[in-house]
Amino acid sequence: MPTQTPVEAPVEAPVRRERPVREFGWNVVVWNDPITLMSYVVLVLRRLFGYDETTATKLMLQVHHEGRAVVATQPREQAEISVTRLHAFGLQATLAHG
Amino acid sequence: MAAVRRHRGRVEVRLDADERRAMLGIIATLTPHLGRVARTVPHAYDDPKLDEEYARLMFPEVEASRDADIEQLRESLQSGGDRRDLDDAQALSWTRALNHLRLVAGALLGVEEDGWDDAVDQSVLESAEFTMLMALGWMQEHIVQALDG
Repeated sequence: MPTQTPVEAPVEAPVRRERPVREFGWNVVVWNDPITLMSYVVLVLRRLFGYDETTATKLMLQVHHEGRAVVATQPREQAEISVTRLHAFGLQATLAHG
Repeated sequence: MAAVRRHRGRVEVRLDADERRAMLGIIATLTPHLGRVARTVPHAYDDPKLDEEYARLMFPEVEASRDADIEQLRESLQSGGDRRDLDDAQALSWTRALNHLRLVAGALLGVEEDGWDDAVDQSVLESAEFTMLMALGWMQEHIVQALDG
């Protein structure tokens, strides 16, 4: 076991990074379409966003009944990646500033 | 007869030779319409400039992914016997390919709104597009169930 006296490391003041407001709060929106199976939408939401079955089903039903649902709110770059993945699954999805 | 089930952590798909031939025919019929009919060219933004940028920068990635999924499905159907054991990634790839093909079949049928299948005309029921849509849907639904199982 070491017996040396611990040396206190200098503590730097945290750097406050300013980020543009528009970086945050982009909504990933999934839109209803009459062809895609409900069970498939639930599967995609679970796999892409890690939702449990109850949450994914609730979001799917919102898409079905209201025509759309916000399935995630993310920084723009991440939201665009999410939309691209949803498109790769064949879902209708857009992103909009929240 | 076609069957899909969860078996030893994988998705087992059984299709006889006639069913595989029929699926390959569906793929050959619908694939040329990808990117040309409704819902197969997705939009990402309301803003036309941002959407144009997305189409230029990101859509090629979507197209490449879609084409790879369909090619994987086609190759799998072209080789081997009646049984396929799909791992999780392969099964997901199949569901994506089937969904893209269903979007084409739906567009060719002119489907625009929910409830379209509540009262379907006899002419639609007898159409090749309807048969393809149903066959693809059966396969996709069962693979989704097996993935969840």
